[in-house]
Amino acid sequence: MAGKSIAANKVRSFLTMLGIIIGVAAVIILVSLVQGQNKQWKEYYESLGTNRVNVSAYMWNGKDITEDLYEYCLRLDDLVLGVTPNGYYYGNIRYQSKSTDGNREYGTPSIALGSDLYSVCNNYELAMGRDISYLDVQNYNQVVVLGAKLKEYLFDYKNPIGEQISIGGHKFTVIGVYAAKGGTINPYIDYTAVVPYTMNRMLNKNNTFGDFTIKAKSSEATTEVITRVTGFLTGLIDPNYGYFYVYSDNSWMEREDEANRMMSLVLGGIAGISLLVGGIGIMNIMLVTVRERTREIGIRKAIGGSRRSILIQFLIEASVICGTGGILGILLGVLGTLVAGKLIFQLVLYPDVALSLGAVAFSVVLGIAFGMYPAVKASALQPVEALRAE
Amino acid sequence: MKLIELIDAYKIYNEGFENEVRALNGVSLTIEKGEFVSIVGQSGSGKSTLMNILGCLDVPTYGEYFLNGQDVSVMTDAELSKIRSRDVGFIFQGFNLISTLTAYENVELALIYQGVRASQRHDRVMEALERVGLADRAKNRPSQLSGGQQQRVAIARALVTNPSVIMADEPTGALDSKTGQQILDLLKSLNDEGATVILITHNMDLACASHRIIRLSDGKIVEDYRLRGVTA
Repeated sequence: MAGKSIAANKVRSFLTMLGIIIGVAAVIILVSLVQGQNKQWKEYYESLGTNRVNVSAYMWNGKDITEDLYEYCLRLDDLVLGVTPNGYYYGNIRYQSKSTDGNREYGTPSIALGSDLYSVCNNYELAMGRDISYLDVQNYNQVVVLGAKLKEYLFDYKNPIGEQISIGGHKFTVIGVYAAKGGTINPYIDYTAVVPYTMNRMLNKNNTFGDFTIKAKSSEATTEVITRVTGFLTGLIDPNYGYFYVYSDNSWMEREDEANRMMSLVLGGIAGISLLVGGIGIMNIMLVTVRERTREIGIRKAIGGSRRSILIQFLIEASVICGTGGILGILLGVLGTLVAGKLIFQLVLYPDVALSLGAVAFSVVLGIAFGMYPAVKASALQPVEALRAE
Repeated sequence: MKLIELIDAYKIYNEGFENEVRALNGVSLTIEKGEFVSIVGQSGSGKSTLMNILGCLDVPTYGEYFLNGQDVSVMTDAELSKIRSRDVGFIFQGFNLISTLTAYENVELALIYQGVRASQRHDRVMEALERVGLADRAKNRPSQLSGGQQQRVAIARALVTNPSVIMADEPTGALDSKTGQQILDLLKSLNDEGATVILITHNMDLACASHRIIRLSDGKIVEDYRLRGVTA
């Protein structure tokens, strides 16, 4: 009987369902996108590495503090995982006929000049071959470890280990490849290579480094490392001949987290509003039919329908409409999330299960409540009064 | 045998206020099984209120009402539903069919509410539709039927449950005179077959087709007379 009534009121049933479908789908899609974005930023931060201490030091007397800082940090082995200078060389890289100057997508990469702990400090993991060693640094070995994207560009699927490439006209032997970590948000993080920092002299005609990264073991250790390194550098650098600055990455990452939380709130709010609008749509369409239904209920009562049987019928009717709408809303929401995730983030996003069910529960309860409202009201009337409704 | 016995019934709206309305002001009435009674009166005379009370759609403010020997005036809403389902068949001026259901389904609804099993419903619904000559329109919606046909569906719905009494409230009011006559003939033949029929109308020509006329005015019975001999 309820099914017949739904089928007979196709437009009304569809409009009610539409309100629920749109409300549910909007919430699922919007919140999933926010979560997807947060996830992506989080992965990006984690790929950069947390608990990093940056040191900037400028010396006017040409003195290089790299060796001193490196050795000091290694002595703090209960606090520090690694330390590396941050130097860069920009220049063409060639392998046989391939040259990075010809890469239209990413152009010429920046080559990192790092210590044997560069990968530890910057969260790279070795995919093949070996990493730069302490001896490579000490012995001025012309070796290079490639980032995943640069390896892909120069070698495709070929094994690059042991191959010779040219960096700025100098020959380097490829000893390893790092695994990709940047994803789509920052491909340049993988379009790079690392050579021992002692190559600075050859590539940049320069002996000194001004920027360093120290990787601490934990966020507590980070604070301790900042204190210790500041103390060490105060003794090392004569303020008449230079200055230095020690700071942690964690602080600005926390600010970014804050910004992301704000964004979640804003988009979550928008999603909530669309659910509310959907809910109001449901209310509207249900209330508009009050009169029509009041009369129908009057007729049903006049020909012998009891209040209970009429309420049960309307409950089933509203539940079927809202339940179907909820299920369709989930389907549309999941579909929309997958499509939007693919288009916006180029990754597969899955909607939050608890949230989807919450949105469905909300609209279904709303739909049933307002679907039942005219029935509850009209079935309490004397049949005569209900019949009088036009 | 007494089918209906109404004793000193009042229906008072807004009692005790300035705008108090006495729709029924002390009505006593007895109707025997198998009668064909007309209740006539000007609009506002209380005849619709009387029909609503006789049809168990409403209860009197004061007074007693016995239908088939049961005291209806003290019944709950659920009990009234049961009485309406079992003992009363309604025919309204505005047909009051459910527009989203077919003729068949409208008639079937009365049986569903009576709790008749699905297997028995089909034959009874078709029998009732045949009785009013609409078996071939069973699958039509009300909007696909003429006014006269809709009223015949309503009659089929009223008689399908074999009620003790059929209440017809201005059943021809929305129809042209020729169609109205057909409806009246149908009610007469139902009465000939043994059904008790109560016709509420302001049209004396219609009322003259019945056996007994009760005239109401200002909520009171002012006339009650038989047109011809009836075996009661």
